Amino acid sequence: MLPTDISQELDYDICIVGAGIAGMESALNLGDMGYRVLLVEKEASIGGKMILLSKVFPTLDCASCISTPKMASAAHHPNVTIMVYSEIDEIERKENGTFGVQMHQKPTYVDPNACIGCGQCETACTVAIPDEFNFNLDARRVAHIPFPQAVPKKAILQRNGQSPCNHTCPAGVKPHGYTSLVRAGLHDAAFELHLETTPLIGSLSRACYAPCEKECTRGEFEGSVQIRAIKRFIADRYYELNSEPNYGPVKERKDKRIAIVGAGPAGLNAAFQLARKGYDVTIFEAEEKAGGTMQYGIPDVRLPKDVLERDIKNVTALGVSIRTNTKVESLEKLKQDGFDAVFLGLGCSRTRSKREESADGTTSVKTKAPGRVRSPNTTPFADEIKLAANGVIEINKTLQTSLPYVFAGGDAVTGPLTITAAIGQGNQAAYFIEQFLQGHPLNAADLKELECTDKLAVIAREARLSTRKPTKLLKRENVSKEEGRKAAKLPLTEEEARYSANRCLDCGNCSECHQCVSVCPSNAIDFSMQPIHHQIKVGSVIIATGFELFDAHRKPTFGFGKYPNVVTAMQMDRLLSPTRPFNSVLRPSDGKEPDNIAFVLCVGSRDSQVDHRLCSRVCCMYTAKQAQLIMGSLPLADVTIYYIDIRAFGKGYDEFYEQAKGMGVDFVHGKVADITESSEDEGNLVVRFENLTEGKIEKREHDLVVLSVGLLPNTSAQGMFRGTSIEADNFRYIKEMDEDMEPGVTSIDGVFVAGAANAARDIPDTILHSGAAAVQAAAYIENLKGLVC
Amino acid sequence: MTPLQRDLTEIMRDEMIMRDEITKLLTSEPHTVPEIAEALKVPTTEALLWLTAMRRYGLVEEVGRADANGYFKYTLVKEEN
Repeated sequence: MLPTDISQELDYDICIVGAGIAGMESALNLGDMGYRVLLVEKEASIGGKMILLSKVFPTLDCASCISTPKMASAAHHPNVTIMVYSEIDEIERKENGTFGVQMHQKPTYVDPNACIGCGQCETACTVAIPDEFNFNLDARRVAHIPFPQAVPKKAILQRNGQSPCNHTCPAGVKPHGYTSLVRAGLHDAAFELHLETTPLIGSLSRACYAPCEKECTRGEFEGSVQIRAIKRFIADRYYELNSEPNYGPVKERKDKRIAIVGAGPAGLNAAFQLARKGYDVTIFEAEEKAGGTMQYGIPDVRLPKDVLERDIKNVTALGVSIRTNTKVESLEKLKQDGFDAVFLGLGCSRTRSKREESADGTTSVKTKAPGRVRSPNTTPFADEIKLAANGVIEINKTLQTSLPYVFAGGDAVTGPLTITAAIGQGNQAAYFIEQFLQGHPLNAADLKELECTDKLAVIAREARLSTRKPTKLLKRENVSKEEGRKAAKLPLTEEEARYSANRCLDCGNCSECHQCVSVCPSNAIDFSMQPIHHQIKVGSVIIATGFELFDAHRKPTFGFGKYPNVVTAMQMDRLLSPTRPFNSVLRPSDGKEPDNIAFVLCVGSRDSQVDHRLCSRVCCMYTAKQAQLIMGSLPLADVTIYYIDIRAFGKGYDEFYEQAKGMGVDFVHGKVADITESSEDEGNLVVRFENLTEGKIEKREHDLVVLSVGLLPNTSAQGMFRGTSIEADNFRYIKEMDEDMEPGVTSIDGVFVAGAANAARDIPDTILHSGAAAVQAAAYIENLKGLVC
Repeated sequence: MTPLQRDLTEIMRDEMIMRDEITKLLTSEPHTVPEIAEALKVPTTEALLWLTAMRRYGLVEEVGRADANGYFKYTLVKEEN
């Protein structure tokens, strides 16, 4: 075997962590030199913070116009591979100088190959959350494209685990989904979503034991969302408007026949799901009527039988035949009759309640508790399939019995089950029967759901939640004690249902309402997506993770987060951007175009109170930029900048500062002490400051105040390396070992730093530094090539 | 002006209900944010957030330029036939 250089064993020559302007610049330089580059970005789009800016200083060029060609070049470069929505788990330096990178791509729940970036999922989505790309100035949807110029322009569903209500339902119903649809007034869609899981909506709305409500996070506040009452509103409303289902048998038929034994909740559900797939389904029911426990075990007053009958119509409308008064006593006979698979959804024998009907038509229960369970009715099949000692049917994890074509669920498998759990088993059986009939392997892991949302995190997020008490369910009049407390409640009105639904906290963000699925023209939504883990060999690593912005909440005297008209400079950049959240520069308190705007410099920079003594180097100039842009956008506005020093060190910067002054910006040499709201003019703000020129305390009123927040080190990369840590400087930026002579070289041989991950930098300096880091990485790779294995 | 009392997440959740109220209001004539807030008896900050989301998703649009007090009027976007 001929000797090869190490680089030929690598998946990529260089891994670049972070795809902002620094990472993209390094990637393009290295790609142009012929190196194979992996560019890893934690967000769903490359571009970093620069793409979100309005314009750049001092040229006032459009930031998008500069960024988007770089983004497109990186995306289409033959030597650059981009992985977005991906995070590095660990990087290990090998003895031979190469690196092993462990990373994962987070699931977007949208197939990127199918998504055409049309945004219809976003418009249809029913969950609104703050838009982090507009720095919380407006709302976006859980299904969304990060921003208009995103690369790749693909939608993602930002899921935060599965909401506890969805996660806990044994039937697989999505309570969060139909709750969010009712909140949005989409009541028919709520019914249709529920119908995806079960046809027994009316029955469940009366008889479900509502484990979802027990898990509801709102229960930790004033009381759970009344999910079952919302369900009843959905079912009652829909059935009142639709006495018959509005669908028939599916047109695309499959040439397989399935027998369901037992028309209880498990059997009806399995039949419904299989008939929807186009199978020919027959239900055999020993009793006179279908419904099992729901028909014979629950009193009319609690579950009116007309509601159950309407639920059953949801099944029969699909062409499912229900043969009542028909006992099945031989599975072999079913096979001989041409059935390809069988589901045993047998119930248990139950004592019948004796009911008496009075002259006024009301019914009352005369015996003790109805539906008392005795034993499962499995005896006829004892010779054909394996039964346990207690008479229940033995099954594996895919509900398959000892006869491969026979599946079983419900009471006959587990002993007495709730209706809700029986429905879940019916659904699972339908899934595995179809897998069986299609010749696919049966795998119980197929039905694995996303992990449950961390409820404590949701509670922490909702710290300032306002009080909204559960709706008081009104009692029906003239209900006897025997008829029971649960039967005595009136249904919610539409107004009450929407109010109740709006108490939902959207724990997992995505409600699984499936509106995105309904509207997606390319069937790209995929809720089954899982994280994809990669182990990659590379020759060198460049850290280009950029910077963090100072959190203005840390200066509480400035009122950010308290007064809506105190905003950060990044928010102002969004307000000035062509893709801004509002139709103009408006103040957030009331949508007014401001006419007297102040900027406060050095917020979170040069400030030992917040443990950040460094100058951020860009704030003076981006503030001068924003001031000029405001004067262009709002020509009559007065603009004031409160400053300690003006640092205009770069090429053309001093001229830029003078230009702002020349346009009429009022530069006030003053240190701001606090910002409060005016008692006289609604929404206006009073800035109290020390006039450093005159040495006195002054106050001025403005109608919008912008905090020019500083840049902080992003320390996320510093714990990334196995067995060692990358050295940081005194300000927690990644340290260059010799910043005068070896730009970009870090404490780990073969790892380089580019751009603002090393120090606060403006865009031209970042691009220059990224080029230097790219050259350093290239030199390192060339040295590696000299190592022959 | 009362300082923000509620978290943004809660205010934004309310959009799904409040947009119907705003739609009803704008059916008659265009309104400014303070007019909407007054009619619905809600804070102007919250009305702006809901209106902004409705604008983002193509339900409302501004009419002309801001008035003398600096407020735009917003109207429903007419559905294309």
